[in-house]
Amino acid sequence: MPRPRIFVLAFITLLVFWVRADEFKFPLKMGSVRFAAIGDMGTGEAPQYEVAERMNTERQQFPFDFVIMLGDNIYGGSSPKDFERKFERPYKGLLDSSVKFYASLGNHDNPNERFYKFFNMNGSNYYSFKKGNVRFFALDSNYMDAKQLAWLQKELQDSGTSDWKICFFHHPLYSSGKTHGSSIELRSLIEPLFIKYGVDVVFSGHDHVYERVRPEKGIYYFTEGSSGQLRPDGLASTAMTDKGFDSDRTFMLVEIAGDVLYFETLSRTGAVVDSGELRRPVRTPESGPQNK
Amino acid sequence: MTTKRRLKYLLKTVMLGMFLATAGAALGTGQAAVSPSKEAKNAVGFNEFLHRVQAYVDLRKSIDSSLPALKPTDQPEKIANHQQALAQRIREARRRARRGDMFSEEARKAFGRTVREELGGPHGHSARTTIRQGEPLKTIHLHVNEPYPDGVPYTTLPPTLLLKFPKLPDQVAYRIVVRDLILLDVEANLVIDRIPDIFPETI
Repeated sequence: MPRPRIFVLAFITLLVFWVRADEFKFPLKMGSVRFAAIGDMGTGEAPQYEVAERMNTERQQFPFDFVIMLGDNIYGGSSPKDFERKFERPYKGLLDSSVKFYASLGNHDNPNERFYKFFNMNGSNYYSFKKGNVRFFALDSNYMDAKQLAWLQKELQDSGTSDWKICFFHHPLYSSGKTHGSSIELRSLIEPLFIKYGVDVVFSGHDHVYERVRPEKGIYYFTEGSSGQLRPDGLASTAMTDKGFDSDRTFMLVEIAGDVLYFETLSRTGAVVDSGELRRPVRTPESGPQNK
Repeated sequence: MTTKRRLKYLLKTVMLGMFLATAGAALGTGQAAVSPSKEAKNAVGFNEFLHRVQAYVDLRKSIDSSLPALKPTDQPEKIANHQQALAQRIREARRRARRGDMFSEEARKAFGRTVREELGGPHGHSARTTIRQGEPLKTIHLHVNEPYPDGVPYTTLPPTLLLKFPKLPDQVAYRIVVRDLILLDVEANLVIDRIPDIFPETI
């Protein structure tokens, strides 16, 4: 390789490291909850593999323990080959490192995915689990019937006030996506429960873009629907966007330590698309679940 | 006629008049009961539907119990095999299944009224938006006792509409396919019944 080209490459590499070093850093606190979030990924195409590879690389620096999946986990069919090509192969590195995946169902998913052990749904299309001081609620936004609503209310009510409460499901309650946008009907049913029982953060997919919405009624909303699919220029300009990105595939990394949530959204090339920290409002048994 | 007899005659006439008036009123009330309210009509249709669904679920349970139970597995072929075996056996047990087996005439009318009211009511705009934004299917035609095609997305069912429909056992679910309302066996991925053209052409 000619010498000038080597210098250019070395310069670019140093520049990337310098830029990354200057940016946001996870505190990596002892006992913190660390996870990744991906949505609309199960295409089996090259970009999904590239995002997965990037996740693997990032895990060397940020050792996350599990991944939440925001739906559309397996597109275009549910044969054993689909599971292999659209999940097992792209995420092999993470699976081999014992990273767990927790799935929610999208409108492209066969509901029988709930029996797939690697999705940790244990046969239910909605479920909850706890990691450290965080309670996660995976919902089935394809089918929000009375039974699921009653379950959600009871789960939120019983989960007290001391833990973070994070809900994740496919259809976003707030989205500037041009294709789908906000799920207003779903919002009218579940947002009152989120407010009443102190949900802190919500992750969704469906729109094939990344968006962080300005906090709505004290709740932080993320749309991460571009971990395999992408709708270039898919974000409309709306007042609710705090940060949006629609020109490449992305995934999120999250660390929760005490009352602070640190997050970073990366593109498949490793560029930082968004980052920051969110503080959880102090909730006491008196203040929340509010209006109990 | 003596005064006493006249009085008796008058009393009888008044009593007869009162009886006829009361009977007439009662008859009038009876006529109102013969023409029940929309809610009562829907209740009749929905009850009939739920009885039929329960009969289907009972049949299905007996079929499912003859198969190895599906538990969470890391082998997707086990999931696919169970889905196919269950569907195959249900199809065989319901060889003569046809449209209307679950959605009787009364049920069809009750669902139709509910959909019209919801789409024309206060939630109508957002319900229509939900369907429009929820990947509505354009051309697919499904038949009773056939599988829902693998890989075809589900159109979003407006949750406020879903809450107006009768609650279903876990084994079955409602779906929108083009303009039809489908009753789907979720685990077998099988169309159990359908109401064609229940949703308007233009959403």
